[in-house]
Amino acid sequence: MIPRQDIVQIFATFIQFDFDRFNNWILDPRLRRSMNKCLDETTPKEVSENFWAIYWHKRWQKQPKGIARDHLLAYLQEVCFWSTKKTLTGFTSTQYSIPDGFQIAIARIDKVLKGFDGDRGFKLKSYASITFSNLIREFLRQRQEIDICSEWSLLRKLSQKRLQESLQNAGLSTEVQKKYILAWNCFKNIYVPERSASTRRLAKPSPEAWNAIADLYNQQRALQVSAPESAISPETIEKWLLICVKTSRSYLYPDVTSINKPKPGYESGEVADSLIGEVEESLLSEMIIEEEIEERNQQQTQINQILLSALQKLKPDDQKLLELYYGQKLKQEQIAKKLNTQQYNISRKLSRTRKSLLKSLSLSIKENLHISLTSDVLKNISVIIEEWLSSHYHTNQQ
Amino acid sequence: MTIIFNPTQIVIQLPETLQQTTWNKTQNAATPNSRWQTYLNQLTLDAFMSSAKEEQEATIKPWLNSQTLANIAELVNGTAIILGDAKVVLIPSEAEDIEELRLPQEWIDIPEWVADYYLAVQVNVDAGFLRIWGYTTHQQVKKNGTYDPIDRTYTLDDTDLITDLNAFWVARELCPEEETQTAVSPIPAISPTQANNLIDRLGSTEILVPRLAIPFTLWSALLQNDAWRNSLVEKRRGIERVSVLNWLQEEATNLAAQFGWRQVEFQPSIVGARGDMATAIPHKALAKQLTIGNQLYELKIFPIETHTWRFELHSLALGAMIPTGVTLRLLTEDRQSFTGNEHTAITPVEMLDLEVELDPGEGLIWEIEPSPEDYQAEILHF
Repeated sequence: MIPRQDIVQIFATFIQFDFDRFNNWILDPRLRRSMNKCLDETTPKEVSENFWAIYWHKRWQKQPKGIARDHLLAYLQEVCFWSTKKTLTGFTSTQYSIPDGFQIAIARIDKVLKGFDGDRGFKLKSYASITFSNLIREFLRQRQEIDICSEWSLLRKLSQKRLQESLQNAGLSTEVQKKYILAWNCFKNIYVPERSASTRRLAKPSPEAWNAIADLYNQQRALQVSAPESAISPETIEKWLLICVKTSRSYLYPDVTSINKPKPGYESGEVADSLIGEVEESLLSEMIIEEEIEERNQQQTQINQILLSALQKLKPDDQKLLELYYGQKLKQEQIAKKLNTQQYNISRKLSRTRKSLLKSLSLSIKENLHISLTSDVLKNISVIIEEWLSSHYHTNQQ
Repeated sequence: MTIIFNPTQIVIQLPETLQQTTWNKTQNAATPNSRWQTYLNQLTLDAFMSSAKEEQEATIKPWLNSQTLANIAELVNGTAIILGDAKVVLIPSEAEDIEELRLPQEWIDIPEWVADYYLAVQVNVDAGFLRIWGYTTHQQVKKNGTYDPIDRTYTLDDTDLITDLNAFWVARELCPEEETQTAVSPIPAISPTQANNLIDRLGSTEILVPRLAIPFTLWSALLQNDAWRNSLVEKRRGIERVSVLNWLQEEATNLAAQFGWRQVEFQPSIVGARGDMATAIPHKALAKQLTIGNQLYELKIFPIETHTWRFELHSLALGAMIPTGVTLRLLTEDRQSFTGNEHTAITPVEMLDLEVELDPGEGLIWEIEPSPEDYQAEILHF
């Protein structure tokens, strides 16, 4: 992959794949115009990518659906590509290509953007790198499980949110989604495993069970709608549930060919400038104020020092573990092999080590920055640590 | 198969033996659906308790005894523990994707049920693990949760949860005083007649999901009275109670045994002193053995005149007294006190006793402080 150098490019281009390889960077003219407009507002021209990453992240927080998201999508292309590549290497059992994984990860960019602490975080890129890896791993795990499940078991293993997203993704109307979700809930209430385990290969429900599901559906539906509806037959319920199975399976196997499709109007530059939106001057000038920058830098230096010294105080074994996991991005299984132990132990040790870092940093933040601790503050500190570890070992490697 | 987890989550193994014994314990559940729910909740409770004991030093115990929690799981998903001085509700789910936490409204809006923390738990019985993948506080649920009136849940997206469970342990350690709860309004009480009608109606397992069958205010009013809640569960399990008087007759002895009561004969002592029933005829009483603080006790109930009943609590250990502070208390079925409804040991005593006049059919709840092991609030009808 050719790294992008130019600041406009970094925030306005997308990866194009050629089968399973990187092919080229594709420019989105709308994003280029938007970036240029922003650059013009800063004198001298601000060219630090981290500055713009934070700027767009702040704007995204105000307007999650605006152009900021597209800029961040462009910005995080590279990091998503490398996270995917590293995470997938070694998973011989899966038939995932890099574009597959890339698509899965980038589609979940909102989780990255939502999790990043724009006020205290260091680098969006580092946070994205670790989050994309986690998302892909979690995704692979879910796929492993779902692949060995029968249709009827799969239905029990969906969250309502996932089901709804799948149905939405398949283009079904809100009204239809509601009916399917109710049918699914009735199914889960009636069709229950009858033993303590072995629930992955549940057989098709019996005719009696289908009748019971339909009855329950009709009862509950009547409570929800004001206008009477004709009763739904067991056959219809079965049909609906099979659609639920199908849509949620295809949600797990995204259509990869869609990645390279240009978004309507983008390529030709047909999209009018008016859609770019205004530059948020107040936000820009706020970010450029020296004091702010200084304060931010100072805080980051402080956190950096605290974490560095906490890291040095760790046992050599634990340091090694962090390096293998965050630096070399080895999977827990590989680390276990390397250190001649069980994966279970590695996971536990990693968790303990992170916990001790979380504790040290939280205590220091409480004392030095006079912030009183709550679960919410700890959540942010945890994110900072995750991000810092990833960036620390990344820099060390180079 | 490789299972891949994020090191910020807690993963606990579920041994097959634990699964099997837990499954066997759920046999008496009302419906296959409630059996499954009880099973998942029980597994979650047991596995989490033993793993948390290793993780930290604070005391950890179930919020209520395991039978009571099983009764709750019969009706509502979720189980609760007390960790140090915090209450923690665990919400198990079978969903493989960890996209959301769905919290039954009962755990958020019934004042007595409200907890400090809520943990999202994924249970996979086939792969044999339980994964705690996020947590939140009552305050956050009230602030960020979306209420879904269809299944009466508060839902939170994964991105709104704290997904580093280390943060949970660190929070308990470094900021145990953090504010976690939002005040909730009290649930208006319902009358015993209303409650009994509801129990009759919801007691049928034809109603598969009783929690959604009546408005939430009525449902929660019924649920917050533990004796009514237990009556409802009994009824759904097909267990019928009869009056204490019937229990004292031969034919109902088996029935009484289901609830831990047995029939005993004894020579009245105190009663004789009153002169009115001073005969040497042995009396029949209902008796229940109780364990309070590792000591065995017996609670006895018997009639002394028409419509007047006597309750006696004795220690079963030879020559042992009931220690200072122990209270025997009777409450009406809607948990109201009345004159002369309790007896507290001010000094160590041989016996705590109460006498009450009751109309036929009237119901009473008995309780003892400190609470006996495996205590189940029950309504005795006279």
